[in-house]
Amino acid sequence: MPSFDEVNYSLRPNKHIQRTIVFDGLRSIKSELNLRNCIYIGFGSIWFTDFGLAHRILQVNDMISIEGDEIGIRRAQFNKPFKTVRIEPGHSNEVIPKLLLEQQLQGRPWVVWLDYDKSLQEESVDDIRSIVERAPQNSVLLVTLNASGGSIARAPESRPQRLRALLGPTVPDELSRDDCREDTLPETIAKLIQDFMVSVAVAAARPGSLVPAFRLIYRDGAPMVTVGGILPSRGAVSAARDVTQSAGWQGFPSARIVAPHLTIREAAALQSELPRTRSLSRKSVQKLGFDLKEEQIKSFEKYYRYYPSFAQITT
Amino acid sequence: MVGFTKADANPTKAFFVRMITRDISLEDCILDLIDNSIDGAWKLSGGHPMRLDDMTDLSNYKIEINATPQEFTIIDNCGGITLDDAIEYAFTFGRKERDAPDAYSIGVYGIGMKRAAFKIGESISIISTYKARKGLESFRVAIDVPTWLADSSRDWDFDIESSGDLKSAGVKLSIKSLHDSISSSFSSPTFIRDLGRTIGRDYALHIRRGLSICLNGKLIKGWEVELLQGSGFEPMRITYTDDLDGGIVNVEVLAGMAAPPPESLEPDDLMDGENRYGWYIACNGRIVLAANKSDVSGWGTEDWPQWHPQYSGFLGIVVFSSQNASLLPLTTTKRSVDVSSGVFRRARLRMRDASKQWIGYTNARKQSVEDAKTHEQQAKPTSIFGIPQRTTFLLPTIASKPKVRMANINYSMPLQRVRSLAEGFGNVNMSYRDVGIKSFERSFSDLVGDE
Repeated sequence: MPSFDEVNYSLRPNKHIQRTIVFDGLRSIKSELNLRNCIYIGFGSIWFTDFGLAHRILQVNDMISIEGDEIGIRRAQFNKPFKTVRIEPGHSNEVIPKLLLEQQLQGRPWVVWLDYDKSLQEESVDDIRSIVERAPQNSVLLVTLNASGGSIARAPESRPQRLRALLGPTVPDELSRDDCREDTLPETIAKLIQDFMVSVAVAAARPGSLVPAFRLIYRDGAPMVTVGGILPSRGAVSAARDVTQSAGWQGFPSARIVAPHLTIREAAALQSELPRTRSLSRKSVQKLGFDLKEEQIKSFEKYYRYYPSFAQITT
Repeated sequence: MVGFTKADANPTKAFFVRMITRDISLEDCILDLIDNSIDGAWKLSGGHPMRLDDMTDLSNYKIEINATPQEFTIIDNCGGITLDDAIEYAFTFGRKERDAPDAYSIGVYGIGMKRAAFKIGESISIISTYKARKGLESFRVAIDVPTWLADSSRDWDFDIESSGDLKSAGVKLSIKSLHDSISSSFSSPTFIRDLGRTIGRDYALHIRRGLSICLNGKLIKGWEVELLQGSGFEPMRITYTDDLDGGIVNVEVLAGMAAPPPESLEPDDLMDGENRYGWYIACNGRIVLAANKSDVSGWGTEDWPQWHPQYSGFLGIVVFSSQNASLLPLTTTKRSVDVSSGVFRRARLRMRDASKQWIGYTNARKQSVEDAKTHEQQAKPTSIFGIPQRTTFLLPTIASKPKVRMANINYSMPLQRVRSLAEGFGNVNMSYRDVGIKSFERSFSDLVGDE
């Protein structure tokens, strides 16, 4: 990949688009699941980007950020954007079981976003399992993981067995090395995690089971997957199904999100050509005076409304 | 004075349905339906004892199962139910005493299809197409369960109506309005995959003879059972018949080593494969007890120790077949054996001999694990179908070596660090024990050099 696709990494357009799709989706089922009254739980780090969106878009007040790093805890305390954000020190593996027992967190839906920067591991499988089994009804669980091959096992032939060790009988016996190549692995992992979540919900006899709601694959340096589902009450099942299976639902894009890094000038020039009925060609981009790959143009056309706009602020 | 009258002892339909569906799992209900199809196929192909080396060709028969949260269907081309059978037998609850047993069938209690259908859902349709004198004929039975239950008459009959033909002689059962818990199970990818694994295992003997079973469009692979042979290991294979009042039961007992005993008894090292070992029991070809390590197959009874992970690697299979399925030691759910059955208890004596030989071997090998491993590594896997007759399970004699004083090293490390080190040694799936040994060897050669 040429280096200009990597610069401006800090702006992370794909990450931003994926976040916007998720919160847009959550907004559209907010009233059915009573999410206004929910508790947002995530890994806010020191940036709290998702916490900001949860507060602005879903009007969530009560939020918990899990932070395992000692210095990170201090910095999180300093940087937390709202008074109602509680920093919970410890690793998700220790914190989640505690939260599941905390009396005052029960009886209201949770929106949990486990935005790991790591790949699937024993700990993340445990986290997913305990949330799916025991989170209050009408909760939503989102999981983001690194899906690069090397993070599962360096040797591709070891990957199916490694996935079997992690996800057990959910993994089909015929899962092959080809399903676990660098280019196929993100889709495979996304599918397996979704299957795992549904199966855990069924095995735990959750009255509303789990309704899959998000499956997004994007690149943020490494290939990343976000998988999410709703844990509806029995009464909310059909609403959750209707929304997530409707034509307008953005949670299951057919292709990976590969939005290009653009300068503000490029983005503005492209945007002035949109929306349009016939799709934007590479030729017309060249006519605008610059150039992009076909897939990048397609992705921009699809997601331009979700594009981040950044400006440099000097204080 | 009170006049005597009769108390009404007829069960209500609702009670009856609740009772018969309560004590069977969904999985076993589906297997019951497959049993019915297979009985049809087996009958059409001549109906003889289902011995391991019998090579009846079932490749013309196909069973297709579709299980989705909305609908369940099973369709076969195994001959269908005739109208006479439907009137007289297929829709009665349980077999009538006068019914003659089907040849080498698995369906024995005459309850499978009805129980399965009631367990799964409320709107049931059964179409059967069968060969009559003048070509194919068909009928349909439709049951709307709530309506049928609400009808409080003594009449438990179902209406039979005419129907168009299926593609070939066979039965199609479709069920809609699934019960919530069933619909939810069918939405679980893990449930469906596990069901496929169970079918592949329990019908391994039929699949090997060419029968195709598809689940949600996917052809199920039969389970391959292999025992290790050579270098002192010779599995046992005995065949005998047990004469009973109602007929003859053919019995085959095989036992051997499916894999070497475990390297360590740590739970994490045992997880993989531990659930394959133990005893398997097949009745007329259908495996009804799998990987059993409990007192049902004898462990922990009469001079026979409880199963212990040390015995992992042992695999035995007993195949009972009889023209009269009621002589077989199977329970109504076909998920266990009737331990009070004489046929089974007599077979268990032979099972015990094999089990005890294995127990002795796993104890003896502790004296000289390296010697034992050399033997074990040289033994070659052989399909159970190719194993020759042998009256005993032969195991190598392990020569005990002069003892070197050993020290055990035991330590814990964070799981992710162990995995990373395993990856560093070239295999992320390496057992913890091997990671420990490799670490020792590596440091030994770096710091001490050659011994």
